[in-house]
Formats: sequence, structure tokens, C-alpha cells
Amino acid sequence: MIFVHSLHRWLVLFLFLLFSGANAGATEASLNVYVVNYPLKYFAERISGPHVNVTLPVPPEVDPVYWTPSIADIGAYQQADLILLNGAGYAKWVSKVSLPRSKTVDTSREFRDQYITVKEAKTHSHGAEGQHAHEGLAFTTWMDLSLAAKQAEAIVDEIVRKRPQHEDLFRANYRSLEKELLALDSRIKAVVSPNHTIPIIFSHPVYEYFAKAYGLNGRSVHWEPDQDPTPGQVAELNKLLESHPANWMIWENTPIKSAVDVLEVMGIKSVVFNPCGNVPPEGDLLSVMKDNVTKFELVFH
Amino acid sequence: MLDSFYIAWKYISYNRIKTAVLVACVTLISFLPFALQLLLNGSERQLMSRAVSTPLVIGAKGSALDLVMNTLYFGDERPEVISMQAANRIWDSELALPIPTYTRFKARGYPIVGTTLDYFDFRGLNVESGRNLAVIGECVVGARAAEDLKLKPGNSLVSSPESLFDLAGVYPLKMKVVGILEKAHTSDDLAIFVDLKTAWVIQGLGHGHQDVTQLKDPTLVLKRSGTNVAATAKLYHYTEISEKNIDSFHFHGNTDIYPISAVIAVPADEKSGTILQGRYLGKNETQQILRPAEVIDGLLQNIFRIKNVLDAVVSVVALATVMAIVLVFALSLRLRQREIKTIFKIGCSRLTIAKLLAAEILIIVAASGVLCGIMLTVVNRFTNDLVRMLFIA
Repeated sequence: MIFVHSLHRWLVLFLFLLFSGANAGATEASLNVYVVNYPLKYFAERISGPHVNVTLPVPPEVDPVYWTPSIADIGAYQQADLILLNGAGYAKWVSKVSLPRSKTVDTSREFRDQYITVKEAKTHSHGAEGQHAHEGLAFTTWMDLSLAAKQAEAIVDEIVRKRPQHEDLFRANYRSLEKELLALDSRIKAVVSPNHTIPIIFSHPVYEYFAKAYGLNGRSVHWEPDQDPTPGQVAELNKLLESHPANWMIWENTPIKSAVDVLEVMGIKSVVFNPCGNVPPEGDLLSVMKDNVTKFELVFH
Repeated sequence: MLDSFYIAWKYISYNRIKTAVLVACVTLISFLPFALQLLLNGSERQLMSRAVSTPLVIGAKGSALDLVMNTLYFGDERPEVISMQAANRIWDSELALPIPTYTRFKARGYPIVGTTLDYFDFRGLNVESGRNLAVIGECVVGARAAEDLKLKPGNSLVSSPESLFDLAGVYPLKMKVVGILEKAHTSDDLAIFVDLKTAWVIQGLGHGHQDVTQLKDPTLVLKRSGTNVAATAKLYHYTEISEKNIDSFHFHGNTDIYPISAVIAVPADEKSGTILQGRYLGKNETQQILRPAEVIDGLLQNIFRIKNVLDAVVSVVALATVMAIVLVFALSLRLRQREIKTIFKIGCSRLTIAKLLAAEILIIVAASGVLCGIMLTVVNRFTNDLVRMLFIA
């Protein structure tokens, strides 16, 4: 009887060890995802939670669109399980490096027919090619929040392909994210639509998708928020105001006081609408966007 | 018996020219069929193994063999180009992984293969020294090409102009060698791999130059208006992509319509491959999809048919040679009648005389055997190169 009792104990211990070993073997490695900007990082993290390790190797003080990776950074991208690109020509470095296509997802490819083309003001000619301008694409696609939802959808599809065992969770997370993005999209439309023809000035040409999506009457200049405007820039703005009498300038970041003062003399008020290309010091993409919309209510009240 | 060999050797040494001709005839007639077999085995092994490991190839309609030889073995055949849209079409179908290849240019006689990083994973190619491609303007060199060109990471390699007389053509690009591949014993050993975008820069579709709108030197500006700056031919185009000038490199127009030679499609499974093949059967289809194994099998069937003809020719020639050798020996015996009689008179038996003649024949056959063996060893050593030279290049 004592022998049978002891046998039971051993059997229980054996089964415990067997199952605990099996569970240890089944622990999956976290999917290693590299992204090119913060909105993609936010979407990937919102969708996949702890199952994915998302890296944006751009330093916080640098705008990812103008960042240049080192050879080691490129190597890290190449070694990732998944590389999420914004597409639409975002981050020029992408077109000059070698990335494995099998791991790369262009999150805006699905709506590439909606890309906005921007041309250099001045054309040039050399060689046999004749006159041409270096055409580019507007790249801040996520500023149109309905397009941002589509980008998030491209991400969820790819992550589900890589980790199909968590599909239900990922899809549920995506639906929640999509709902929030589209709710914010509706809120912007509600804020803007009554007075969407009000002329405004964008301090930088990064609001193309935003302006198109919400029907804004905006024109762009090239003013940096951390630099004093040059006399040339002021003259250019004065000329623009003749045909486009705006009372507001939309900035990417908080402008320095001297720039705000110059604008105030011209009768232009300043407001910040942060595109949030890099990780914000506080909050997340949606909280920054909500804050942007609240500030926008001042412009379109 | 040793005495017989000694006397036979003395006779052979005295009649050197006759012996050399006989040895040459026997050697060649035994060498030819064996060498042919070696080469055919080598070609079958080399061609088939690579063809079987490449599931599908898509290219412009035309010669299937040219397309496969260019895509798999980087041969000199130039199939019609297709555009990157062909690769995007496969990508969008989600049936297979597309690996575009662009094999058009050369550097010091070795093919430059423009492709994506997926090619290295697909072929199982590893970098032995240095690192893999990271930015445009870099190249990774196959093991044999690196050995022949004495290249190592850090060296540079200049692309060859397509035509010596094309003075207005594209500037050669000085590429930075960043890695040497491990030996793969395939055509990859003899190739220089670059990113597809680097191949387009070599072609002149992408380039870097001074900022035309910021030019200060008046000799560089042909005409300047409010909206356009026309540069003169003096405008400096960069012939090497470096950290300093990489930002100035750009591509004009839509890269989706840029040229490639072919696309290797790696389907997820057999069913996906079959569905993909079905999508290229339309009447107005301008591209063809091929299973390289079938194309190479067809080529090998032709080679084997030629081999059968060659075997028949070699058999007839061998028969004629053997008869000629018999005739040579018969005539030689007649000429040596007095000599044989003398040997007989000094006391040698007929058996001894037969032994003497047999020893002569044995020495000739043995010498031919050794020579044939040496030649076959040489052929065996260089089978891969010979196969490449005879059947691929």
C-alpha cells in the first residue's frame, strides 16, 4: 500500500515536470518589428500588445523623416522579423538601402492611388533628360485619420500572418484602434466643416493629407519653429497674404517667441498641430491628436 | 618476361615517332567517350540542381532558354526586359515571394546581378568576410570572382561600360566591395551582387550630381530663368556613391516601371505555384512563366541526343583507328620479318617472339591508359568551368 502511494506521488511529479517542460518549450519568441516612424510604432503596439517588440531606432529629438541610419541601424532593420514602412516616399533613406522585401510591409501601398504629388518650385535640366523637377510625394499619410486606419489594417494583417495563434486578440485590438481613429476623424470633420474655407497658413509642407481629408484652405511656407524668420521669408509670406488672407499659422512644434511676435505684427495668430512623427514627450499618438483638435477648435470656432 | 619487356622497350624507344603516333591514337580514342560522359554528367548535375531549386521564373515572352540561362546562370543571353511591375504583380497576388533579378552589366568580365536581399536567403548564400549589402553603391562578390579578381572587403570595383565607343553613354560606377560570399559551387560564385537600385544607377536611371539650383559657377549654367535652371554638360555627375554624396542620388520617375530581366517566384506551396502559372495563360499576356527544371530538362535531352550522335561517330572512328592500328602492327611485322627470323635463328622460340610483340603492345596500351587517365583527371578537375564555357556562357 505504501508502495502504491509512493508510485502515485512519483507519477504526479513526472506529469508536472512533463507539462511544465512542454509549456517552457511552447513559449514563443516575441516578434521583432522595426518601424520608420512613431504612428506605425503606436499602431503595432496597440494591436499586438506584449506579443511584439516594436523598435523605432530614431533618437527622440530627430524627425524620423530626415533621419539617416548608420550601417549598424540598417543591419538591425535587416535582421528584424518585420519592417513596417510608411510608404509614400516617407524617409528618403529607405530608397537608398537594401531591405529584404519578404519582411517589409509598405503600410500605405493599399491606397497608393491616393498619394499626393508635390513638385519642386523650380525645374532644372541637364544631360539628355530635358527639363524636369524632382517630384516627390507628400508623406504624412496618417494625418488623414481614415488613411491611418488603413495603415493600421495593413499592420494587423501582417502581424496576424506572422503570429496566427493570436489572431482574435490582434483583430479585436485593431477594431478598438480603428474605432478611436475614426471617432477622432469625425470630430475633426465636425470642428472644421462649418468654416473649412477659412484661409490658413501651414508653417511647413507636411499637412497635405490633413488639408485634403478635411477640406482645409491652407497654403504652405517653409518656417522653422526654432528659427527666426528671415526678411525673405517674411516678404514671401506678405506676398502670399495678398491672395490668401490668413489669420492663423499652423505650426508642427511650439514656435519661438520672436517668430510668434513677427506673425502677430502681421495679424497672424499661431497654433500648434503636431504631426507626431516621433515619440511624443508625453502621452501617445491619439492623445496628441486629441490635443491638436482641441487647439484647432480655436481656429475654426 | 622481364627480358621481353626490356627488348620491347628498346624497340619502342628506337621507333619513337611510330610509337608516339600509336600512343596518341589509342589515348584519344579512349579519352573522347569518357571525357564526353564526364562533361555531360557535370552539366546535368550543375544545370539540373540549380534549375530544380528554382521553382518559377517570370520574364518577357521570347526564348525560354535564354530567360532561364540568364536568370539562373547569369549567361550572356539578353532576354527582353520587363518592369518592376512584374514583381509587384506577384507580390500583390500573395501567391509567391517575388525576387527580381537584373543581369545586364559586367565588371571586369564578371556579371553584375542586381537583386534584393531575399535572393541571398533563397539561395542560402552566406557572407564569408565583410557584411551584406546595406546601401546603394555597394557590392558583394562571389567566392570565385573575388579569388580571380583578388578582391576583399574594402576594395572597389568599377562597372564596365557597355560599349567602348559609347562616349555619351552612362558613366561607370565605382562600387565598394563590402563582402565576399562563401563558396556555393554554383554560378553565384562567379557573380557580383548589387542591390537592384545600384544596377539602375549603373544604367543611369538613378544618379547624383551637384544641386543644380545652387550652382555658383557660371560655366555650369546654360540658362537660368525664374522657374528653370539648365545646366551645361560640365555638370559633375558622381561616379561613386559615398556617405557624403548619397543624399544627392535620386531616381527620376516611377521606379515601378524600371527594368529588370526576370523575377524568380517562390510560391508558398505547390497549389499557389499552379494558380500563379494559370495567371500567365491569357492571350494578351506579354510575360511568360516557366518551370526552369522543365526548360533545362529539354536542353539536356537535346544535349543527350547530340551525345548519341557523337557516340556513334566516336565508335566508327574508334573502329577505324583500331583497324589502322592492326594494320600498322601487321605492316610492322612484315617489315620486321628479317629481324624476327634472326631472333628465331639465334634460338628464340615462337612463344618468346609472341611475348616480345605482346610486350610492345602492352607498353603502348599502358602508356595510352596513363595519358588518358591524366587527361581525364584534368577534365574532371575543371568540369564546372568547362560546363560553364561549353553549355552556359
